[in-house]
Amino acid sequence: MVKISVLQHDPSTHLPMRPGDPTPTSRNLNPLMHPFARARERTRALNAAKIERIFAKPFVASLEGHSDAVEVLVRKPKSLSTVASASWNGDIIIHDLQQRTEVLTLRGAHKGKASGLCFGGENGDRFLSCGVDKTVKLWNTPTGLEQDTGDATPLNVFPSKNAFNSIDHHRTDPIFATASNIVQVWDESKTAPISNLTFPTSTETITSVRFNLSEASVLASVGSDRTFTLYDIRTGKAERRVIMQMRSNSLAWSPTFPTTVLLASEDHNLYTFDVRNLAWPTQIYKAHVAAVMSCDWSPTGTEFVSGGWDRTVRIWKEGVGKQPEVYHTKRMHRVFSTAFTADARFVLSGSDDGNVRVWKAKASDKLGVIDARERAAMEYRDTLKERWKMDSQVGKVARGRYLPKPIHKANQLKRTMLESRRVKEERRRKHTRAGENKPKAEKKTVVVREQT
Amino acid sequence: MDALFAKAEAIRPHKRRRFNGDGPHSKKHTGKDVELDSTAKSVLHHTSLPKSLRPGSPPPEEAKKYSHISDKKLRAQLSSQSAHSARSKALLEDAAFLLEHEDSGAMEAEGELDRTWRVGQDEIAESAGQEAAKSRREWKLDGGPYRSRYTRNGRHLAIVGLKGHVATFDWQTGTLHSELQLRETCRDITFLHDQSHFAVAQSKYVFIYDRDGVELHRLKSHIEPTRLEFLPYHWLLASVGQTGYLKYQDTSTGQILAEHRTKLGGCTTMTQNLHNAVIHLGHQNGTVTLWTPNLPHAAVRLLAHLGPVVSVSVDPSTAGRYMATAGHDGTVKVWDCRNWKGAVRQWATRGGSAELEWSQKGALAVASGGSVNVYNKPAIQQFFAGTTSPPLYMTHPIPHRPLTSARFCPFQDTLTIGHSKGLSSILVPGSGEPNFDSSEADPFENKRMRREREVKGLLDKVQPDMITLDPEFVGSLAPPTKLTTDVNGKLDIPFARLPRQHRLKLQGRADETEEVSEEEDGGEGKEGNASRKEEKEKKRMRGKNKAMKRYLRKQRKNVIDPKAVALKEKLQREREQRKKTRDLAKGVQEDRLPSALDRFRT
Repeated sequence: MVKISVLQHDPSTHLPMRPGDPTPTSRNLNPLMHPFARARERTRALNAAKIERIFAKPFVASLEGHSDAVEVLVRKPKSLSTVASASWNGDIIIHDLQQRTEVLTLRGAHKGKASGLCFGGENGDRFLSCGVDKTVKLWNTPTGLEQDTGDATPLNVFPSKNAFNSIDHHRTDPIFATASNIVQVWDESKTAPISNLTFPTSTETITSVRFNLSEASVLASVGSDRTFTLYDIRTGKAERRVIMQMRSNSLAWSPTFPTTVLLASEDHNLYTFDVRNLAWPTQIYKAHVAAVMSCDWSPTGTEFVSGGWDRTVRIWKEGVGKQPEVYHTKRMHRVFSTAFTADARFVLSGSDDGNVRVWKAKASDKLGVIDARERAAMEYRDTLKERWKMDSQVGKVARGRYLPKPIHKANQLKRTMLESRRVKEERRRKHTRAGENKPKAEKKTVVVREQT
Repeated sequence: MDALFAKAEAIRPHKRRRFNGDGPHSKKHTGKDVELDSTAKSVLHHTSLPKSLRPGSPPPEEAKKYSHISDKKLRAQLSSQSAHSARSKALLEDAAFLLEHEDSGAMEAEGELDRTWRVGQDEIAESAGQEAAKSRREWKLDGGPYRSRYTRNGRHLAIVGLKGHVATFDWQTGTLHSELQLRETCRDITFLHDQSHFAVAQSKYVFIYDRDGVELHRLKSHIEPTRLEFLPYHWLLASVGQTGYLKYQDTSTGQILAEHRTKLGGCTTMTQNLHNAVIHLGHQNGTVTLWTPNLPHAAVRLLAHLGPVVSVSVDPSTAGRYMATAGHDGTVKVWDCRNWKGAVRQWATRGGSAELEWSQKGALAVASGGSVNVYNKPAIQQFFAGTTSPPLYMTHPIPHRPLTSARFCPFQDTLTIGHSKGLSSILVPGSGEPNFDSSEADPFENKRMRREREVKGLLDKVQPDMITLDPEFVGSLAPPTKLTTDVNGKLDIPFARLPRQHRLKLQGRADETEEVSEEEDGGEGKEGNASRKEEKEKKRMRGKNKAMKRYLRKQRKNVIDPKAVALKEKLQREREQRKKTRDLAKGVQEDRLPSALDRFRT
């Protein structure tokens, strides 16, 4: 006897039970059933990379209202849409990002440049501004129900002898710190500073001061004599100071890693430091082709944005020191201020042309409702791009960015200069006695001196 | 103040670990009692780690550890990759029994004396289920020997008679899509990406028809075609004809991609390897050639038979590892495509030239003379020195000679044989793959799925220049560059960091003339030196490079000046003397006592 069985497919298992039901699918994971699986996946990855570049339209809106360079941009705590900006002619505007309207406009709030701005209190119900007119002004934040005209008066005015460069409010307590040629700590209810903080040998102008977000009594400042200084308001003195090769223009504390601080430096780079070890930075971020003017962390602490003298806004991943996302327009001038929104989906930049621009944090992000299938397709495309990024073609599409000609030229020039510097160094080493002149890691050359 | 400082637990310098300190995050996790440093402790009540950064489920047991890799970033990346792959492998194993839901057919002899080939079609059809028994049928048609072709999902069948009868239909439901009487010689037919289009090789050109039989295109560049193949993942229609040209046409853009002149005369045998999209041609002089569109010559050229090759087939069950060829001399040979040294197995068939076809599960059908023989897998692919035929699995007599084509139906146990009186379809248990994948080819797909697959297939179209004999090269490591940085055995310096001279040398652009003249030392003989200098005569000052002067300079070379010779000898002697004293000072060579033979030393 011969046992015979013949293959037959049962239509009832492969066809929908009732009209309108989805057709059942079946899977066979045998690789023989999927010829060219890798080649096809690569094609899909290439398409995904191209699609991403096609839909990369990052510019969302421009918020007008300032007639001079926008110096500061801050977001109101616990609010998704309220952002305040201050400009060089002393105007202060509070914007509503959703409506793209001005909630409050203060024309000439300061004489000359309004150099600093910060929200106070847990919910940001009041805000402080400082300027080169040697005053700090405390204002009430409008509720946003009706537009305020420019004739509002400050709740309080704090006079001083020096022009202010920066201001920051304590996270919980009603105290704030200002930066002039020294760091001063003020109480909101007192007209004179409660303490003056300065490093004993310092003769600098402090350009920026920030409170730590978790260890709320720790303060950091950067100054014109190339220093980065840490203060503690409980001890009332400067704790540590680092002197670097070039001065920093701005600093920001990481919202999720309390010991991490980001410095935007004049030497085209950004640096993250771990404040427990100030001898060298944890990472150098290199892409700008001119001085970096401002920086701000995303609320997730995994990304940050920087704006530079080279008229670009760049978005970096924490710990990845190169190839950031780069935004530019034909009309945008030097970027003096940048900020992330609280939902980490948008980036704001304030520039010399007096516009506050709103960008997407992810250039090809789709705004609006995304259903589950679309979301799944997006995630699949992201995975494909990640998986095939080493492929030369896919990587070229995914990484390549068009840069305006001046920036491209500057980039080329900078590369040439760095290369010749390296060659010179190498030649010098070659002609010194063997082992005398060892090459130094770039991280180790950033900090010139560390002082306590 | 220090006491306050301590109480406040302010930021304190981070303690350096060991010598020259690791990064600040290099905390050693030694068991449970990981002591938090003071900064971390003081920020603890203000902060919480985001969920995405908290450790997930522990990695599975079988994940590789990579503890030997010192680079932390790389180690973390590799171990997370291996954990991910181990997890997905476990998930796959969980799902495996859910996926294999249908059993393949089979014919097994139970007794010692039972033979599967004794079982006839009536008996098989009797024991088969109602659905499967439907596929045993005979189509009695006029119009010469027939050829047939199935779609990739096995649902639709296209037939063509030599005298011009063309029909496409859904053979399961019996729905006829189109039927044409073309009234000219038609030699082959193939479906394009699905049943909505098909191409017919007619007497002069290839024509493309849509599902309803409307002529869409006349491909005038394919002249006198004899065989057609469609490469589904590349959207290429390949044809070969009496002119001996193999032509590839992109059916998505309509462009002729490549025209290869085989230089081996008219060709009537063509097949494709489904797994690497290589075209196999069999020629009149007994050679089999393998072609890709990006090579102007054959990738492989194999003398397979002593007469013309009449049929070639590639085994899909082993990813195209084995190829079977049949010649006019009546032999069938099975070849291993990894090693072309000789046939794995060969045997003679009765009745002359045979048509071959390999099924999805690896059954080989040989249609020759008046019968179809089916051989099964392990025997035909194992090396066998003799020329006896492998054990027969099934046989079926067909009295309508010649048998011109044999096609297995995908995902069915069905073999369709074309012959002079039409077509007959027989049951071959165990030849078809039981489990199809809906994302690749689904016999039960509806209109919407077909449309979606068409669009997806176009989006995933693989570029034709990626067709190679080894399809696995995509995504594998690139070969090492030819530009090596090997200078003095040091390989670790990247090219960009080498000094300029080295870089030029590696690129082959360095001007080495100067260097050589520097390197010249007294080690070599005088003749060597002289000859080398002669090779590259320097450019001299103006007026010194005239032809006459050069001639005179050359003439002077042969002149031996006794003064110069004497001077040279003197210098040589002095040099030796100096060396000797140096050696003496070092105590290398002991001063010998003067001997009588010293007078002969110079």
